[in-house]
Amino acid sequence: MIRVTSLRKHFGDVRAVDGVTFAAPDGQVTGLLGPNGAGKTTTLRMLYTLMRPDAGQILVDGIDAVDDPQGARFALGVLPDQSGLYPRLTAREHIEYFGELQGITGSELRQRTEHLLQMLDMTAIADRRVAGFSHGERTKTALARAIVHNPKNVLLDEPTNGLDVMSTRAVREIIRRLKGEGHTVLFSSHVMQEVSALCDTIVVIARGRSVAAGTPDDLRTQTGHQNLEDAFVALSGLEAEGQPS
Amino acid sequence: MRAGSLTQSLVVMRKEIKDWSRDRRSIITVLVSSLLAPGLIFIMFNSMATRQRSAEDVTIPVVGASHAPAFVEWLGQQAGVTITDGPDNAEDAVRNRREDAVIVIPENFAKNFRVSRPAQIRLVADSSSQNSRPKVQRIRTLLQRYNSEISSLRLIARGVSPAVATPMQIEEVEVSSSQQRAATILGFIPLFVMLAAFTGAMAIATDSTAGERERGSFEALLANPAPRLAIASGKWLAGTVTAVVTVLITAALLFSMFRYLPLQDLGMRFRLGTPELIGTLAVVVPLAPLIVALQMYVATFAKSFKEAQSYLTFLMMAQMIPGMMQTMNPTTARAWWMHYVPWIGQQSLLTDVLGNKPIGPEVYAIVGVVNLTLAVLVVRATAGLLHREKIIFGR
Repeated sequence: MIRVTSLRKHFGDVRAVDGVTFAAPDGQVTGLLGPNGAGKTTTLRMLYTLMRPDAGQILVDGIDAVDDPQGARFALGVLPDQSGLYPRLTAREHIEYFGELQGITGSELRQRTEHLLQMLDMTAIADRRVAGFSHGERTKTALARAIVHNPKNVLLDEPTNGLDVMSTRAVREIIRRLKGEGHTVLFSSHVMQEVSALCDTIVVIARGRSVAAGTPDDLRTQTGHQNLEDAFVALSGLEAEGQPS
Repeated sequence: MRAGSLTQSLVVMRKEIKDWSRDRRSIITVLVSSLLAPGLIFIMFNSMATRQRSAEDVTIPVVGASHAPAFVEWLGQQAGVTITDGPDNAEDAVRNRREDAVIVIPENFAKNFRVSRPAQIRLVADSSSQNSRPKVQRIRTLLQRYNSEISSLRLIARGVSPAVATPMQIEEVEVSSSQQRAATILGFIPLFVMLAAFTGAMAIATDSTAGERERGSFEALLANPAPRLAIASGKWLAGTVTAVVTVLITAALLFSMFRYLPLQDLGMRFRLGTPELIGTLAVVVPLAPLIVALQMYVATFAKSFKEAQSYLTFLMMAQMIPGMMQTMNPTTARAWWMHYVPWIGQQSLLTDVLGNKPIGPEVYAIVGVVNLTLAVLVVRATAGLLHREKIIFGR
């Protein structure tokens, strides 16, 4: 369960996040939808405690992420927008490294790693160095290491960005699976179809603010547009501006 | 640090060493840099010895030997001296390095000599040539000796004691042992061993900081619940391990190489055995953690691997300054605290170690504590940098 209230963050004169409020309940997939530069990544970075908000509150399973970042990090699994892997380590070593940092050892670590490798269909490439990996293989590796400790809450920043069809399907499959296991999944995307296909709740973010939240149906009724894409455009105010901010 | 954090920092250390050991370039750097110093010294000493030997067995080309047959005969009788006919143009021959030095005896030599007027003799040499210097020095000494022999004989012939012409007799009393004198020549050993610590840790220090930034892997790593201090200290431990290994290899090679150097030929007598090796390591190894900590602190500011390397080059030059200052301007009087200042202390302590001057165990202990404390402070500062958003995300 993640609850965010009136989150704000500025860089110099730029108000990157200027009032984001939403809740991501357990066992549900929540999507942060917004155009590029809307503040999605900054919001997520504050959620996984690597950025400090100027104002607002973040609760991860009831833990205040600003006061107790370390405690919040125990309850989070994070796939940042950069998959940043170590070229000379194998996929398995990546997963084990993060597992050990989370305090998992011995046979538990081996089982968990094996489980993830199978779930992500990576057994064939498990012991190859990631230097030669495709974009999809890299994303899978980064995803596997992010959830090696079976975190209650999973944050994914544009997980399907740049992936081919097969890899995208694999990632979607994992998101559904995590949901089925009762995890809180929060992911960001600027792709309409992505969000509508997966999410129980959509939070629309535009120009640093959360402008609407609800099920896809809620958003349609709220805006009076039958087409979700039209609803999104209307909500994010793209039409009025003419250009994404 | 809590027990959990310690485990985490060991996890980070293991990963960094594994990562490093798979980087062929960093392994080659360590091997080459630990071979470089002993190799350079070996070549240097050998060529010095060869030059020394060439000065002992010296061939002197003489132009105009017929103008001073007695002198040339005396010269030829000196140990190791062979006389040859000089080239037609002595100055050209020396300038073109065909000859190291040539003695030219002018025609009027005999006339002047006979009437006890200073008879001119020319020693043609090129003082810009390093190689000929010992040989020229040898010839000069021979000429001076002949000069004083003749002047004594002339005084005796006139009924004057030669002692009259020697108003002052200089007696030099040497208080340093030959080992200590040699140790000043060996001043570059500390420099090379400290350099080994630096190059040994460089790969990990840059790859685990600026490298993480460049790859964008810091974000995922720092989103782990492991405290920043555990992560920073794990990386530091890994760097320290590679630094110490490089120091051990370099020092072992240096010391075993000294057994094969022609030191007798250089008039050097000193011992470089196991006690000196252990002393050297006891002085330099405590500095390694501090070197690594500083490298990491500096490299963390760099956005890329290359940027970090250029920062570290400056750091490397900075750490050589104390050593070079001491070589250029050796201070005989040393304040007690100088032992405990990093780099300066290593330089002066190693001069003592190699000079067989006893050093108390408490000195080693304090050096260790001072260096480690400073290292820990720098690692803490690095951990502090890992909280900065500009460092984590700045690319």
